[in-house]
Amino acid sequence: MTRLCVNGETHDLACEDRDSLAGVLRDRLGLTATRIGCQHGSCGACNLLLDGVPVRGCLVPVALAEGQAVTTLEGLRDDPVMIRLREAFTAHHALQCGYCTAGMLVAARDLILRGRATSAAEVRAGLAGQLCRCTGYDGIVAAVLQAAQ
Amino acid sequence: MIPAPFTLRRTADWDALPALLEDALPLGGGQSLMPLLALRLAEPAALVPLRDLPGLSEIAERDGALWIGAGVTHARIEDGIGPVPLREWLSLVASGIAYRPVRNLGTLGGSLALHDPASDWPVALLALGASAVLRQGDMRRVLLVEKFCTGAFATALQPGEVIEAVTIPIPATGTRFGWCKLAPAPGAFAEALAGVLHAPGAAPRIAVASPAGARLMPEAPPPDDPHLARLRDVAIRRAGA
Amino acid sequence: MVAMEAKGWIGASVPRREDARHLLGQGVFAGDVTAPGMLELAFWRSPVAHGRIGAVTRPAGVFGAGEIGPVTLLPAGPDMPGFRQAPYPPLADGVVRFVGQPVLAALAATRGAAEDLCARCEVEIAPLPAFADVPAALAPGAAVLHPGWADNRYGSGHVKAGDVAGLDAPIRIRRKLGLGRQSAAPMEPRALIAVPDRRTGELVLHISSQGPHVLRHALAAMLGLPESRLRVVAPDVGGGFGAKNRLMPEEVVACALALKLDRPIRWVEDRREHLMAGAQAREHLYDLTLHATRDGIALGIEGELWVDAGAYALWPTGAFAEAGMAARNLGGPYGIAHLDVRHHTVATTKPPMGPYRGVGRTGACFAIERLMDALADEVGVSRYEIRRRNLIAKLPHVTAAGMTLDTGDYPAALEACVGMLDLPALEARRAAGERVGVGFAIYTEQSGHGTAEWAGRKARVVPGHETATLRMHPDGSLTLLTAIHNHGQGLETTLAQIVAEELGLHPEAIAVRHGDTGLSPFGFGTFASRSLVFAGGAAKAAAEMLGAKLRRIAAHFLQADLALVELRGGRAWAGAASLPLVDLAHAATMRQERLPPGEPPGLEATADYCPPEDAGVFSYGVHAAVVRVDAETGAVALEDYCVAEDCGTMINPMIVDGQVKGGVVQGIGTALTEELRFDAEAQPLSTTFADYRLPDAPSLPEIRVLHLVTPARCTVHGAKGVGEGGAIAPPAAIASAVEQALGLGMVVTATPVTPRRVLSVLP
Ligand SMILES: Cc1cc2nc3c(=O)[nH]c(=O)nc-3n(C[C@H](O)[C@H](O)[C@H](O)COP(=O)(O)OP(=O)(O)OC[C@H]3O[C@@H](n4cnc5c(N)ncnc54)[C@H](O)[C@@H]3O)c2cc1C
Ligand code: FES
Ligand code: FES
Repeated sequence: MTRLCVNGETHDLACEDRDSLAGVLRDRLGLTATRIGCQHGSCGACNLLLDGVPVRGCLVPVALAEGQAVTTLEGLRDDPVMIRLREAFTAHHALQCGYCTAGMLVAARDLILRGRATSAAEVRAGLAGQLCRCTGYDGIVAAVLQAAQ
Repeated sequence: MIPAPFTLRRTADWDALPALLEDALPLGGGQSLMPLLALRLAEPAALVPLRDLPGLSEIAERDGALWIGAGVTHARIEDGIGPVPLREWLSLVASGIAYRPVRNLGTLGGSLALHDPASDWPVALLALGASAVLRQGDMRRVLLVEKFCTGAFATALQPGEVIEAVTIPIPATGTRFGWCKLAPAPGAFAEALAGVLHAPGAAPRIAVASPAGARLMPEAPPPDDPHLARLRDVAIRRAGA
Repeated sequence: MVAMEAKGWIGASVPRREDARHLLGQGVFAGDVTAPGMLELAFWRSPVAHGRIGAVTRPAGVFGAGEIGPVTLLPAGPDMPGFRQAPYPPLADGVVRFVGQPVLAALAATRGAAEDLCARCEVEIAPLPAFADVPAALAPGAAVLHPGWADNRYGSGHVKAGDVAGLDAPIRIRRKLGLGRQSAAPMEPRALIAVPDRRTGELVLHISSQGPHVLRHALAAMLGLPESRLRVVAPDVGGGFGAKNRLMPEEVVACALALKLDRPIRWVEDRREHLMAGAQAREHLYDLTLHATRDGIALGIEGELWVDAGAYALWPTGAFAEAGMAARNLGGPYGIAHLDVRHHTVATTKPPMGPYRGVGRTGACFAIERLMDALADEVGVSRYEIRRRNLIAKLPHVTAAGMTLDTGDYPAALEACVGMLDLPALEARRAAGERVGVGFAIYTEQSGHGTAEWAGRKARVVPGHETATLRMHPDGSLTLLTAIHNHGQGLETTLAQIVAEELGLHPEAIAVRHGDTGLSPFGFGTFASRSLVFAGGAAKAAAEMLGAKLRRIAAHFLQADLALVELRGGRAWAGAASLPLVDLAHAATMRQERLPPGEPPGLEATADYCPPEDAGVFSYGVHAAVVRVDAETGAVALEDYCVAEDCGTMINPMIVDGQVKGGVVQGIGTALTEELRFDAEAQPLSTTFADYRLPDAPSLPEIRVLHLVTPARCTVHGAKGVGEGGAIAPPAAIASAVEQALGLGMVVTATPVTPRRVLSVLP
C-alpha cells in the first residue's frame, strides 16, 4: 500500500513502485488536471507541487511521494495567485487547446511566488521547458506579468 | 514508456545501504534515472532512494571547503548556498541546468554520479577543484573530481558505494571563475561546456566537457565532430581562459 | 461576462468560454476517459526500417496480424488510376517498412504490464534495404518497397501553364532547396479508448481526433460495422495541427480488439511513439529554375519537386495534396505566368506523411521566397524592392496554376509590415558591425475551398460542405450542434458569436456541442483552415432559419406585421411591444396549439452550407523576421517578428491573433529547431523532446501582428480562414534574415537553419 496525501486528502492505494506519481493521480484518483505530454521531463504538462514546490509528476516514482504533501491544480482552486492567474490567462488568450495549461499555471505561480515575474524577459526565462504548441507564448507571458502585479 | 517493474527500498541507515544496493541502483532526484528507466535503457530490480540517509542534504563550511551533501538539489544551489563568491558561481551553474521543476528534485550527487558527458556539474566541479566524498557503510574515501570521473558515464564508484557529498575548496581572495555553456536552448544539455578558475598567481584551470566526460585542458580529448570541437574552443574562450 | 449590446458580436474579442474548464483542469481529453474492466494496449514496433518478418515468439495476450479479427484494408491516396496503392496494415503483415511500425499488439491490465509483454516478444526480421531519403529511394536499381511497383513513387504530377521554355529570359536562377522532416507534435499525443456499449450495441470510441465523422466512416468500413453501430467522440483535443486527421493503425487495432474481446481497450500514445510512428510532415526537395527579366521581374518557374511521403499512404488522401499543393502554390503572391513543375510523391522507409499546418505551402513559400531573394541579389536590388516589383498589384488575380486570389492588397501589406520595423536603426547597427538582419516573406493561404476544388485534387473525401443544427429548447436556451472540431481554435466561442449576432442574443445563451457522431449531423471536422468559413456559414444559415420562425410566431403573438418584428436582447420586438423568446419557445414546443395556423411545431433548424465560390478565399500576409547571428557558434537569435496579415473580417480579433501567433511560432520551429532526423539505415534519431526541439518561451520575441481587413466577397461576414497562414512564411523570412545578418547572398537552402547549417554557409 502506498499512502498519498493529495490536496489535503489521504489515500491508501495499491500501486506498483514503478508507477509515476502523475500516472497514479490520473488513473487511480481521477485527478486528470495533471497531464502527460512526454514522460521524460521536457514539456512540463505534468507539473504539480510536492511539499509546495513544483516538480515533474512524470519523473517521481509514486512511492517516493509518500510522506509529502502532493498538490495538483485541482487543489489550487482557491489559491489567491491561481485566481489571479486564471483571470489573466482568459484576458490575454493564454490558452488554446488547454493541454499545457495546468502545468503552465503551476510553473507560473511558482515564478510569481519567487518574485521572478518582474519583466517579460524574466517570465520567458522562467518558463523555459514549459512547452505550449498552440499559443506562441505571448499571451502566457502577458498573463503572468499581469497576475504578478 | 513505463519502466520495467522495480521495487523501491527505502532506508535511512548508512550501514544497511551496501547490502540493499547489491542488485539495485541508488536513486537521487530521479531526474536522469527515471527517463532512462522509462525508455527501458536500464532495468534494475530495485531502487534505493538516498534522500532519507542522515546528512545527505547537509551544507556546511569545514576545513576551508564548502561541504555540499549529495542530495542537495540544483534549485537549492541556485537560490544560494555557501560564501560569496562561490555562492554566485554555483548559482550560475545551477540555474543553467534544465528547468526549475527538474532542478527542484535533481541533485548534485546524482549529476556527478551519472557523469553524463554533456552535464554541467562534473565540468564545473572539476574546474573548481572539488572532491567527491564517497561512502560505503561507514567507510569514506575522498577523491578529486579528476580522479572520480573516469570516463563518459563512468566513475570510480565501487559497488555499494555512493557519493555522500562534494567538497569545494573556498577560493582564495581575488580568484575568478568563468563559465560558458553552449546549448541549443536554455536548460538543454550542452553542446559545449567550459569552466575556468583563475586563482591569483596560478595558471588558469580549464575544465571542459569531452567525449571522455569532464576533463582538464589540455589533455581533454577533442570531440570527433568538428562542429562540436569548434564550439568547445568558443566556450573555452568565452569562459575567460 | 462582456458588456455588449446585441448586434455587435461580430468583431468582438469575446473571452473564450473554453478557458474556464481548462484553467480549472477540468477539460476532458481522450486519455482521461476510463472504463471498468478496460485493458491497456501497447505495441511491439519494428526496430528496423525494412525487413521480412520470420518466426515470432510471444506470450499470451499478444496479438499479431490476422489475429485481431476481420479487417478490410482501404485504398488510400488520391482517387486516380495512376496513384500506386500502399495500404497501411493495422499490424505489419509479413513485411515491416519503417522503424516504429506496429507489428504486435499487447493487452494487459496496465500499460506497464502491456509493455512488459512486448519486452518478452521475440520477432525475427530478415533485413531488406532501407531508403532513408528520396535520393536513395529513387536511385537507379533501388529495390521497390511495395510489390508490383515499378519504382518507389506513389505518383507524379505536372503543373504546367504558359511556356517557360519559350521565355528566353535573360536571367535564370537554379537552386536546390529543401525543408526538413517534422512532427506536428501536439502537446497531447494521440489517445483513444474503445468501449463496447452493451445497451445500444454500439462500439463507442473516444479518440483525440480532428474529425470524428470521417474517421467513423473509415473505421466502420475497415471493421465491417454499420456506421450506426460505431460512435466516435472526440472530446477535448490537445492540439491537432493535422496530426490527428488521418486514419491510423492504432485505432483500428484497438477497436478490432474491443469487438473481438468485448472489453474496453485504451491506447495512449507516448511521446516516443508520436515522434517515431505518428504522421510526419514537410520533407520537401526542390530543384527549380526561376526565369526573370534583367530588372528583376519574375516570369516563370520550371523544375521538379519531391516529397518524402514515407512507407504508406494514410487514409484518406495520403500525402498527395502535399506535392500537388506545393507545385500549384509556387507562384506565391507574385504575378508569375509561366509554370512548368513536375512533382513526385516518393516512398521511403520512414513513417507515413500526413498533413501539418501549412500543408505544401510552407515548402512552396520557402522555395519561391528563396528564389526571389536570389533574384534580388542577382539584379542588385534589395530583397524588399524585388518583392515590391513582383507582387500582384490588383486583385482578383488568377494565378498560373489556376487559383483565384480573391481580395486584398498585397503591396499595402508589404508596406504595412515594413512600417512596423525601424529599418534605419537596423542598418545603423549593421554598419556598426552587429550581425543583425531582416528578412521578408509573403504567403497566401487558401481557405473555405469547396467541392470542385477538392474533387479536382482527386480527394477521396470531398469536404465541400458542412451542416449545423440549431435547437431552441422549451426554456428558450439554445444548442448548436456542429461537426467541425474545436481544439484550441475557440470555435465554441466564435460560433456562438455568429448565432448570437443573428438572433440578437448574448453568446452565452448558446451552447455549442461538437466532436460526437452521436450528437451532431455529419460533417468533416477541422482542418485546412475551413471551420470558421464552413461551420460559421452553416451556423448562420441555421440561425437565420430559426430566427425566421421565431419572428413568424412573434408576429402572430404580437399581432404585428412580420416585417416589423426583430430579435434583440433575448426578446422579439414589434415597435414598442415585445415578448421574451422563452414564450415563443414554450409555445413552439410545449403548447403548439398557440402557434399560428399552419406553423409546424418545434424549434430546430438544420442547415447545410457550401461556400458560393468553390475556389475558396485567400488570406495573405507579410512576415518580417529580425535576427542576430552569433558567427562563432552559428546560433540564431530572433530579435523581432512582425506580421501584417489580412484574413478578411475577424469574428473575434483576439482569437485571430492567437491563431496567427501560434502558427508563426510553429513556423519558427520549422525554420530553426525542429527536425526529425534519421541515419542512413532510416533509424530515427529524434524520438524525444530532448532531440526534437520545439520552440519555447525564452527563445522567442513577442510576435507583433497588424491586421489589414479586406472582407471576402462570398463568405459569411466576409471572413477568411486563418488557421495555417502563420506557419507558412517563417522559414523563408528567417533564412533571408540570417543571410543579411551575415552579409551573405542566398546561401541558406535548407531548414532547419541550425547553428551547424549557419556555420557551414560561412565562407
Ligand atoms: C528535461 C531535463 C533536462 C535536463 N537538462 C540538464 C542539463 O542541461 N544539464 C545537466 O547537467 N543535467 C540536466 N538534466 C539532468 C538533471 O540535472 C539531473 O538532475 C541529474 O543529471 C541527475 O541527478 P538526479 O539527482 O536526478 O539523479 P538520478 O536521476 O536519481 O540518478 C542519476 C544516476 O546517478 C546515480 N546516483 C544518484 N545519486 C547518487 C549518489 N549520491 N551516489 C551514487 N550514485 C548516485 C543513480 O543511480 C543514477 O544512475 C536534465 C534532466 C531533465 C529531465
Ligand atoms: S510529461 Fe512530465 S515533463 Fe512532459
Ligand atoms: S494551449 Fe495547446 S499546448 Fe498550450
